[in-house]
Amino acid sequence: MAIDVSGARVFFTIPIDFPLLGKIQISETILVSWLVMLIITGFCIWLTHDLKVENISKRQALAEMLVETANNFVIGNMGEKFRYMIPFVAALFVTSAVSNLISLIGLRSPTADLSTEAAWAVIVFIMITREKIKAGGFGGYLKGFTQPIPVMTPFNILSELATPISMACRHFGNILSGIVINALIYAALALASSALLGLIPGAVGAVLSHIPILDVGIPAVLSVYFDWFSGLMQAFIFCMLTTLYIANAAEG
Amino acid sequence: MEFQSLVGIVPWTFIAMICNLFLQMYLIKKFLFKPVNDMLAKRKAMADAEISDAAKAKEEAIAMKNEYEQNMQDAKAKANELLQNAQKTATLQSEEILREASAQATALKAKAESDIEQEKRKAVNDIKNEIGGMALEIAGKVIEREIGENDHTKLIDEFIANVGEDA
Repeated sequence: MAIDVSGARVFFTIPIDFPLLGKIQISETILVSWLVMLIITGFCIWLTHDLKVENISKRQALAEMLVETANNFVIGNMGEKFRYMIPFVAALFVTSAVSNLISLIGLRSPTADLSTEAAWAVIVFIMITREKIKAGGFGGYLKGFTQPIPVMTPFNILSELATPISMACRHFGNILSGIVINALIYAALALASSALLGLIPGAVGAVLSHIPILDVGIPAVLSVYFDWFSGLMQAFIFCMLTTLYIANAAEG
Repeated sequence: MEFQSLVGIVPWTFIAMICNLFLQMYLIKKFLFKPVNDMLAKRKAMADAEISDAAKAKEEAIAMKNEYEQNMQDAKAKANELLQNAQKTATLQSEEILREASAQATALKAKAESDIEQEKRKAVNDIKNEIGGMALEIAGKVIEREIGENDHTKLIDEFIANVGEDA
């Protein structure tokens, strides 16, 4: 039995070859990420329609709670002067979380594509660098690489580049491992059920052994960890690292 | 169906995801943070207004209380003044009345005394007139007839008796 874990499916290719970038491919990643955006935006609109100052509904209480949580998270980790970062961090978290969880309805997570995490990590890296330059000036930023002794410069550059790479790969690796393990579990359970039902003699056993009966229910239990826990955890870790790195960079 | 590689960075997906993230940031800001923050600001403004209203009301109440106490004190002072005035007036009036009464009494007494005196004088005058008249009568009677010694005595007795009866 072959187990195939492939990359994102390409639905549509625009046949214009850009230099360096290649042809535009509308992949599963892009389509599902649009769906994720639609879901998030629709949820936000549903949450905030008909807001009242007094006598609020449960829906509004939830909206206020989410906003307060985002405010507390960002301001608690980064300080009051990074108030403008709240929507960015919130968008990062909710996009990551919903992308991870959308695999629950059978779609391929946009976060199961390294391009997605790389894009986010590069944005965060640019923000970190901007804060560093803002805090110490461009000269100070460059001089920071030669600290504490000039011999350390290559290692400092490496560690600087390691930040976005590790962020992207950590998130991607967790989601991909979830997909791989899910595929393995499905295949293993199908094999197990086929072997089990194959014990029934005659034609009945031959027919029943093609029905992977053990695939019903058992993977759902494992998905509590690989989809729910891991998905939310990775979104949280990514945002946590984003806020901490940027706040650190601003301190110089 | 074409598949992209499992681990790899596709440039256009990379660019699309950057755009998606910023678009998502804008959308979340517009549809979640802005309305909720606006509403929270409104609620805060309302709460602040209510607190300042309450403070104002309290201030007004204190001012009213002070005014009331001031008024009460004024009223008490006025009442005291009035009472004192009334007492003073009453004393003055009673003294006046007493004085007037005694003056009236004195006047009445004097008048009564003078009346009595007059009456007395009048009575004396009346008696004098009577006596004169009687003397004239007696003289007339004496002239009418010869008066003997007996007659004389008798006359005098009669006269005295008359006087006694008249008086």
